Amino acid sequence: MSARDRILAAASSKLGDAKSRKAAVDARLGAGRQPSLKPEIALTDGAERVERFIAQAEAVQATVSRHAAVSELPAALSDQLRNRNLPQAVRAGSEPDFAGLDWGGVEVSHGKGRVDEPATLSRAFCAAAETGTLALTSGPENPVTLTFLGETHFVVLKASEIEAGYEGVWDRFRKSGRDPRTLNLVTGPSRTADIEQKLELGAHGPVALHIFLVND
Amino acid sequence: MTHQPTSKQFKANARAALSNEMVQTAMGKVGGGFVGKRAAARAEVPEFDALRDAARDVKNHTLANLDLYLERYEAQVQASGGHVHWAETAEDARDIILGIVAEAARSEDGKAIVNKGKSMVSEEVALNPALEEAGHKVVETDLGEYIIQLRGEIPSHIIAPAVHVTKEQVEREFREAHPQFDADRTFPDAASLVREARTVLREKYFEADVGITGANMLIAETGQSVIVTNEGNGDLTQSLGRVHVVIASLEKVVPTLDDAATVMRVLARSATGQPVTVYTTFSRGPKRAEDPDGPEEYHVVLLDNGRTNMLSGEFQDMLRCIRCGACMNHCPVYQSVGGHAYGWVYPGPMGAVLTPSLIGVEEGGQLPNASTFCGRCEAVCPMRIPLPRMMRSWREREFEKHLTPSATRYGLGLWAYFAKRPSLYQFATRWAVWKMKLFAGRKNRMSWLPFAGGWTAHRDFPAPEGKTFQQIWAERKR
Repeated sequence: MSARDRILAAASSKLGDAKSRKAAVDARLGAGRQPSLKPEIALTDGAERVERFIAQAEAVQATVSRHAAVSELPAALSDQLRNRNLPQAVRAGSEPDFAGLDWGGVEVSHGKGRVDEPATLSRAFCAAAETGTLALTSGPENPVTLTFLGETHFVVLKASEIEAGYEGVWDRFRKSGRDPRTLNLVTGPSRTADIEQKLELGAHGPVALHIFLVND
Repeated sequence: MTHQPTSKQFKANARAALSNEMVQTAMGKVGGGFVGKRAAARAEVPEFDALRDAARDVKNHTLANLDLYLERYEAQVQASGGHVHWAETAEDARDIILGIVAEAARSEDGKAIVNKGKSMVSEEVALNPALEEAGHKVVETDLGEYIIQLRGEIPSHIIAPAVHVTKEQVEREFREAHPQFDADRTFPDAASLVREARTVLREKYFEADVGITGANMLIAETGQSVIVTNEGNGDLTQSLGRVHVVIASLEKVVPTLDDAATVMRVLARSATGQPVTVYTTFSRGPKRAEDPDGPEEYHVVLLDNGRTNMLSGEFQDMLRCIRCGACMNHCPVYQSVGGHAYGWVYPGPMGAVLTPSLIGVEEGGQLPNASTFCGRCEAVCPMRIPLPRMMRSWREREFEKHLTPSATRYGLGLWAYFAKRPSLYQFATRWAVWKMKLFAGRKNRMSWLPFAGGWTAHRDFPAPEGKTFQQIWAERKR
């Protein structure tokens, strides 16, 4: 008997006949998924939902700018870089939404994150208004290391992609058919309070997180 | 402090901690911080108690079907190209990981560089000493864990491992550990220390052969392991090492993503008072063929180490624990003595219940006595774990096994003799109260009492008013 079989047998002997329990477990893992209890904060809609997303993201030191269309991104990014005293350069993946854009004076390099990345650019998969949380999926379009190695991390999100709560993110994820190595929920820039409980931003990940919120 | 338990000497450890100025200074700074932040976060969600009930129910259902959910989880991990390893004991877990690490080492001497995200289970199995003994280089990347690794300690808090260390002590450690920087540099604030650690560790992420993380949850539906962090170190650890190893205990499994949402809604609010932590990362398998980054191998080590024994018994409720630390943040005993006094990996009320379950009542039986039974731990527990009830169960077992000191046993025996004989009890207490009033004299205070030197050495004992509680009760009833 392997360690696996011994552990499972030990659990089964305590829990009783597995056959009688199996139907309930299969149902819960399939179509009979137990709906979770959604608090009021996870039930916003329309303009209120967008407002909540922005307020929650800003409450955890993210910054948000709003734009009428994706075509505004190059100018907006250039402004952001200038205002933050950063070089006019950014690292991104092969995101198709960025492909047709003329970045002008901003040098866009492609690939995974390197040791020193002053600015990185990602495209969010969607978001949850509940806590101002971005959801990103890893892949060539959005290499996961760009989310963690950029000193300043820029993320593009469309307003229509903001879900009320986490459940909306899961539904979108299941429907998308995406199977990424990581699904990353990101709420504000990196932080630590490990030295005398004093909150400091920029522990290992980004010191700043800026969200370009695009209407569509 | 080592991984060798010293829980047996809790009393001596506690006494030492109480007179240790550094520990007291650091614990004083923690103060009500966590307590106030949790209260504020809770207040923003009116349904918080209903969410606690829901979270409890998720875990109860999962534990009642743990075998089935683990099988499903395993199948999902394998379908994603990952490997699941089952470890019955701490030693098994160490051996499995030593095997994976040796295989992953790229240098010719077979020694690997191992980066670690924060993991309490890795502390439980004493992984670092085993890796180091085998010649591998281990780097803890969570700032708090990095600090205590430099100090050769184990965490004193499950989510704030270096809570017992002052800024000045961190500065001293950094000056010694980072000789590459200017010796005359100054550290005006905590931010400057954070920056230095960031610079040092950033390089190390890229050198690692293996990245080891824990898991806050394992999701049966998808085969994902979940880490909940604020710094981003766990993600860099697991994305930049060539091999990602997850070490997690069995009870971390939850059925679905929706169930994970329920746990997420109570976890950070109970822990740090954040609505959610900065990063919640769901990882499934190794990097995909087309991915530019991510690990080439993904291994999950599932640890039992006594947990299946707790199923269906009086300590099963403890397996609901999601390691938020709220119980210790609200515990007057923990706040006074700090985490190291508990003598092993898990401190505070959750440690007092879990330690005897995992390493035996002979080793850990003293810890359930480290409680005033004020009940705050249970009142704030997001999983509604009846911690005081379980501590009492352990006290009974300790008593049954004759592990309690003889003075306590005789004292309890004497009290029980009277308690079982009400008329004798009333007579004796009436006599004692009358005698004490007489003895106290006109100032109504006693500066000395037999068997109560621990009290009267520091303060007077107020004399009773002349009647027992039962007498007064009886008179009122009339």
